[in-house]
Amino acid sequence: MSEPTTDRTEGAASTEPDFLEVRDLHAGYGQARVLQGLDFSVARGEVCAVLGPNGAGKTTTLRALCGMVRGRGSVTLNGAQLLGRSPEQAARLGVAHVPEGRGTFNELTVEENLHIGAHLRTGLRRRGRAGRAAVVADLERIYGYFPTLRRRSRQAAGSLSGGEQQMLAIGRALMLRPSLLLLDEPSLGLAPLVTRELFEIVRAVNEEERTTVVVVEQNAQLALGIAHRAHVLEAGRLVLSGPAAQIREDGQVAEVYLGVSVRSRKAG
Amino acid sequence: MSTVTDLLQQVVEGLGSGAVYASLALALVLIHRFTGIVNFAQGELAMLSTYVAWQLVASGMPFWLALPVTLAVSFAGGMLVERIVIRPVQGAPELTVVIVTVGLFIFVNALAGLIWSFTVKDFPQPFPDGALDLAGVRVDWSTLGIIGVVAVVMGLLYLLFQHTSVGLVMRAVACNPASARLSGIRVGRVLMLGWGLAATVGAVSGVLVAPVLFLEPNMMGGVLIYAFAAATLGGFDSPVGAVVGGLFVGVAETLTGAYVDVIGADLKVGVPLVIILAVLLVRPQGLFGRAAVERA
Repeated sequence: MSEPTTDRTEGAASTEPDFLEVRDLHAGYGQARVLQGLDFSVARGEVCAVLGPNGAGKTTTLRALCGMVRGRGSVTLNGAQLLGRSPEQAARLGVAHVPEGRGTFNELTVEENLHIGAHLRTGLRRRGRAGRAAVVADLERIYGYFPTLRRRSRQAAGSLSGGEQQMLAIGRALMLRPSLLLLDEPSLGLAPLVTRELFEIVRAVNEEERTTVVVVEQNAQLALGIAHRAHVLEAGRLVLSGPAAQIREDGQVAEVYLGVSVRSRKAG
Repeated sequence: MSTVTDLLQQVVEGLGSGAVYASLALALVLIHRFTGIVNFAQGELAMLSTYVAWQLVASGMPFWLALPVTLAVSFAGGMLVERIVIRPVQGAPELTVVIVTVGLFIFVNALAGLIWSFTVKDFPQPFPDGALDLAGVRVDWSTLGIIGVVAVVMGLLYLLFQHTSVGLVMRAVACNPASARLSGIRVGRVLMLGWGLAATVGAVSGVLVAPVLFLEPNMMGGVLIYAFAAATLGGFDSPVGAVVGGLFVGVAETLTGAYVDVIGADLKVGVPLVIILAVLLVRPQGLFGRAAVERA
């Protein structure tokens, strides 16, 4: 796998350090407390990777950011509090979440899926010629990133391959013109080649549109390849944070997380 | 009358009642698609709408003005039912939701009795008397009218779902509510819209059937069973299936009533039950439905 060796933290890290601020975030499901107080921040335009073993709380972190699970503490996006909001309200604040398992509308065509992504800008009423033109321009933008989707635009989303569905899910999220893009395990169940292509597109989106991205991944190598910063979660706490390049070189991560040599862990 | 024209005669009459079953089945299917709920109170809501129409006509409003007013009232009523009765139990175990709709059934039935009493009322026939003679087969204007109205309702629903942005949003919510939320869609409002729409379509069936059955609070009980058979046969997820199922059930009912001596007019109410049983045994998802797949 050819990973870029340039340190991507330069350039992005210096601008507005606290675009997304997570402070003392606790979250869980019923009695199960998954997150035990997370603190991290993501600068505008950064790609932030959240890594960690199964059950560490990576998915829960993303779900707390987009309102799918309740959290305690504080999460601010550009100064606006995200905690306590519903997913639809979070979407209105510019958070686009691509859930684990993709969440495409399988009975709708590819193009209809993308139109739903633009729902917030078109609303239930079509907002005039200018609004429609903007949506068409956005469709072109998405088809530019994902040429396969253009070829399949009239096909039902359910008939696409897993990789194409993941592309569609990301495309739909981008139709929202989000300021924060949350990606939950984009590589799940996909062939390595497809995954690498997908990550390259995410990198391109980040570079061309300055969209801030938080990506949760099992495949640490891939995620670290496009990330500026990375955080390693274990049992609901951050155990390691730093520039992606540094974490990639760090032997401790390789040992604890990448599974080069598996160390016995105390509690699961 | 030859046996062929006699058969055709029965089929035409079957299609007439089938169209009524189809429209109530359509209402059932709409709600099931959006919420996964089987609404046992659908017939009673339609009956309540029919009383509204009756009241308007009785107070001097012309029928063709009373109809749109009734449909508008039904739409608002359906939205209220979702917000007040169904929303609080959304996400509760299936049995809870079923019991709530059964409770709504009893409540609406009693409410209608309380307001309008249980005595039978004459409902105006909106279509002209007389019939068309098609090669010896007598087609009543009222039968044609019923089929026509249901066809128009279907056409409007098709346009709404396939060619408007509201329809697209509604289909998205029916398909994947969680993803719809993540795209910023206010799912609660869309569900209210779905219930309003279903109540409106149901109201059409009540108004169409009232001149035939006469209006009383238990009028829709039998129709609901036929509609269940229609929706089961067509598939509880498929609007097209509901209509095809409704027409089939209507024709099956008339034909067995006319030609199978042991069944006759008294036992033909058993026909929908046999259809439900047979479909559930042979093809539980119905003709046009998709086989249930557990979501991960």
